[in-house]
Amino acid sequence: MANVLIPLIIILAIVALVQITRVSELLGELKKIDVNNVTEEDNNTQGFLFVVIGGAFLIFVVWQMLEWNHLLLPPASSMHGEQIDALMQFTMGLILVAFFLLTPILFYFAYKYRGRKDNRAYYYPHNNKLELIWTVVPTIILTGVIIYGLKTWDSVMNVDTSDAHEIEVYSKQFQWLAREAGEDKVLGASNFKLIDATNNLGVDMEDPNSLDDKVVREVHLVVDKPVLLKFRSQDVIHSAFLPHFRVQMNCVPGLSTQFAFTPTQTTKEMKIQEGEDFDYVLLCNKICGAAHYNMQMKFVVETQEEYDAWIASQKTLDEKLLTQK
Amino acid sequence: MSDHHKETFITKYIFSLDHKMIAKQFLLTGMFMALVGMLMSAIFRVQLANPGESSILYNFLPSHWINEVGALNPDKYLALVTMHGTILVFWVLTAGLSGTFANFLIPLQIGARDMASGFINMLSYWFFFAATVVLIWSIYVPSGPASGGWTIYPPLSALPQSIPGSGTGMTLWLVAITLFIVGSLLGGLNYIVTILNLRTKGMSMKRLPLTVWALFFTAILGVLSFPVLLSCGLLLIFDRSFGTSFYLSDIVINGEVLHNIGGSPILFEHLFWFLGHPEVYIILLPALGITSEIIATNSRKPIFGYKAMVGSLLAIAFLSFVVWGHHMFMTGMNPFLGSVFTFTTLLIAIPSAVKVFNFLATLWKANIRFTPAMLFAIATVSTFITGGLTGLILGDSALDINVHDTYFVVGHFHIVMGLSAIYGMLAGVYHWFPKMYGRMMNKSLGYIHFWTTFICAYGVFFPMHFLGLAGLPRRYYTNSSFPMFDGLSDINSIITFFALSGAVVQVIFLFNFFYSIFKGPKTTKNPWKSTTLEWTTPVERIHGNWPGELPEVKRWAYDYSKPGYEDDFVPQTVELKEGEKDV
Amino acid sequence: MSVNIKAIKQLLWIGIGSICMFFAGLTSAYIVRKAEGNWMSFEIPDPFIYSTVVIIISSIVLTFAKSKLKQEASPFKIILTVFILGIIFTALQVNGWKELTNQGVFLTGEGSNAAGSFLYILTLAHLVHLVGGLVALLFSSVSAVKGKYSLENSIGLDLTSTYWHFLGILWLYLFFFLKYV
Repeated sequence: MANVLIPLIIILAIVALVQITRVSELLGELKKIDVNNVTEEDNNTQGFLFVVIGGAFLIFVVWQMLEWNHLLLPPASSMHGEQIDALMQFTMGLILVAFFLLTPILFYFAYKYRGRKDNRAYYYPHNNKLELIWTVVPTIILTGVIIYGLKTWDSVMNVDTSDAHEIEVYSKQFQWLAREAGEDKVLGASNFKLIDATNNLGVDMEDPNSLDDKVVREVHLVVDKPVLLKFRSQDVIHSAFLPHFRVQMNCVPGLSTQFAFTPTQTTKEMKIQEGEDFDYVLLCNKICGAAHYNMQMKFVVETQEEYDAWIASQKTLDEKLLTQK
Repeated sequence: MSDHHKETFITKYIFSLDHKMIAKQFLLTGMFMALVGMLMSAIFRVQLANPGESSILYNFLPSHWINEVGALNPDKYLALVTMHGTILVFWVLTAGLSGTFANFLIPLQIGARDMASGFINMLSYWFFFAATVVLIWSIYVPSGPASGGWTIYPPLSALPQSIPGSGTGMTLWLVAITLFIVGSLLGGLNYIVTILNLRTKGMSMKRLPLTVWALFFTAILGVLSFPVLLSCGLLLIFDRSFGTSFYLSDIVINGEVLHNIGGSPILFEHLFWFLGHPEVYIILLPALGITSEIIATNSRKPIFGYKAMVGSLLAIAFLSFVVWGHHMFMTGMNPFLGSVFTFTTLLIAIPSAVKVFNFLATLWKANIRFTPAMLFAIATVSTFITGGLTGLILGDSALDINVHDTYFVVGHFHIVMGLSAIYGMLAGVYHWFPKMYGRMMNKSLGYIHFWTTFICAYGVFFPMHFLGLAGLPRRYYTNSSFPMFDGLSDINSIITFFALSGAVVQVIFLFNFFYSIFKGPKTTKNPWKSTTLEWTTPVERIHGNWPGELPEVKRWAYDYSKPGYEDDFVPQTVELKEGEKDV
Repeated sequence: MSVNIKAIKQLLWIGIGSICMFFAGLTSAYIVRKAEGNWMSFEIPDPFIYSTVVIIISSIVLTFAKSKLKQEASPFKIILTVFILGIIFTALQVNGWKELTNQGVFLTGEGSNAAGSFLYILTLAHLVHLVGGLVALLFSSVSAVKGKYSLENSIGLDLTSTYWHFLGILWLYLFFFLKYV
């Protein structure tokens, strides 16, 4: 039914448009006026519409900000994330000021200077002083933005990772896996040629460091302890995105990337704040194939005791692969 | 002058050497592709609002794209997104926009009979046409068209095992883009040479209309950056079809260990974005040029700060070559390199701000005539402001960490690049339609088209910022597989509502366009009372543009409402009065 | 008419600029890729050295075409010689590839390395552009036979020469790039 209805509606709409156009043009011919000439009345209407619809747009923007504020990500749950949030607030504030200044000016000018027959525009081709001002002022403001931005970037990316807890995050279509280093705190070597159904990270079991490694299906972090995530990918580019921690890094086959951060809030604390079904989650943020939209892994932030208990319950690679054989 | 020989149907409408006809060919092909791209976006918006449900819009798709319950297959969702991006970025906003207006306006506005080489110009269109055919064909191959995103990052785009679209579809994509690049290069060469050599007497570079300046910089960007994309694509073709390892390394897929060692996907990204970022300005600059021209004409006021406008175009064009890394902050690049790219990227805000202020200053104390073209031009400024500002967040590497590849980016570039360029293109069509077809488009339909489009477009793209700030990644088939995004479904429904409405109202434009070609009221020589040279040509299309001598230019392009003249415009061909200074 | 000739020459020059960007893209990819390691080193086979000599000679020979015009003689033989040298160059390049495979340097497949693949692709891309040059030479020689060129009207020959010299310089660049970078 709908299959017939929609083309029918479109055809009717087109017929209506033809009729409207024809009628307006015929009327124009009768009245001996050019219907396509822009009259003063048109200018008034359109100028007025700029104020009304432009204003409505601004109200729509404010409405969105109020109505959808609660949907946005909660404040960062990591140390560097707080810096990013501060920078974000600063920049966002700046662009909102600029937006709410410039957009109304534009629409107001459109209304205010709408054409009238007896009016003549002011011939004003340039003013070097004015142009200098509006080159210099944005430059100064931008200098501030750039310096603040670069400082933040520098402190986020250049972190001392010597005492960070290392975890390997491994991506493949369409699954995340992770590897804990075990008691020796060293991740064993790996080679993509060793990947098979049981050893799905291609860990080199000849390397003594590998034996106590633990492959896990969710990542547990200790609150307030720095962690260094090392990323690998098996097939295509993925991107490890942990929005609550303000962490993102691409996982590139053949390349090792990393990101260091310190979580500051446990999952339990967040559940109290954000609701019972809250969980930290790792998403894939680089198009990677059909199930890209569903590639996820749970992250849990907990106390040292809880973590110790959890890690003890996980099997080492040695145990796992031995039992397989 | 070639009006001696008789034109047959074929030489007039198909293998035409006349720049005006070639421009129309570009425009019509561009419009057709715009419809295809828009239909695709309508389809994937339906999926996003009603994930996993059936829709009558899916009847447009090949039947194997749909699963048993009538829903869109996830990999075909990606195919739609990919093709939508490819079509809009390259086919509509590069060829459709530059191809149309560079071809149409350059000779007319600089006072030339035609392009430097009509033959190369014709070739340019036919390469583009061939590219179009191949791209459309690729949609119908059994494994589907390219699905790895319009940025075709390998390994996803290189390995058919990773997504079906990376099979034949991707091969055809690469063929199409190669043809497209050849066409663009041929066109670009021609535009540059024409502007440099074929200006009529008196038309110094300082007197060029801003449209021509913008198209000039655009052509230079294209000529310098498209070959790099070609080299990037060439290596990808070898990786895909001949088993080299430029971009591939250490890959196990579907349990198969690939032999490739040592390649780097990041290398691809560097090469790709070296084109990719200038490409953004290849899209945007013509729109800004068109907007400048239309705003000046309809404000009845000279464009404010002509030199600064040219200077900022130049600055933007130059900077666009040194900012590509801001697409790659999250690839694990050296943090210092990230800092450099942040710095250069944010610098672009300065010339952009200058442009915005100059637009506003042009409107100040103007006597605005609201033609449909003017409405779209003002909307371009609006979207340039709205979308440009969010660039400050994305260009800042530290902030990019959390918004990179989210819907925030989608909102940003659709507003600043997509909408600005589409508005610029529509403004150009409304404005130069009388020159193209000798008839007027209907004004009232133009008004209705503008306001509905304006409302719908902001309704689609503004809410996307909120999706992004909520952490929703782009290119997700649905937001429903993560509980944290459950609250976003309402926003998605709103966006889809506006997207579908926005698509439907384009019917008004299409109707107006085609109706007016055949039935629109006849126009006069200079309906907008404009100063530039194209309005001194006769209404009827003639090969060679001007009967008799070429016009001679005596002044710059923006003498509107100049004191001392009765009319509120002084065409470029009018001699300066004694003691009168050219600006 | 002089404006048009200037414009057409410029068209070629900008086109050449465009081709330069294409090779700049490939060679910078080469540098970036090499910096990432896993790079096989090998000797450039001799045929490529011979071909370098051949293409230099061909360019020198081609400059005589213009002096032939000054003597009001037909440049046909000169152009034909250059064309033949171009064919020899092509043959030498193909020979170079054969030599490479004998050395165990492959374009693709197991045991291939990006270093080798790059060499094949750069030479191949150059050769593709050279084929364009050969076609231009062919057209020019036909025009020369027909006696179309004179000192006043030599635009076709000029364009062909410019492009051919460019191909020579491009090859020199590629050769030294591959040898020393």
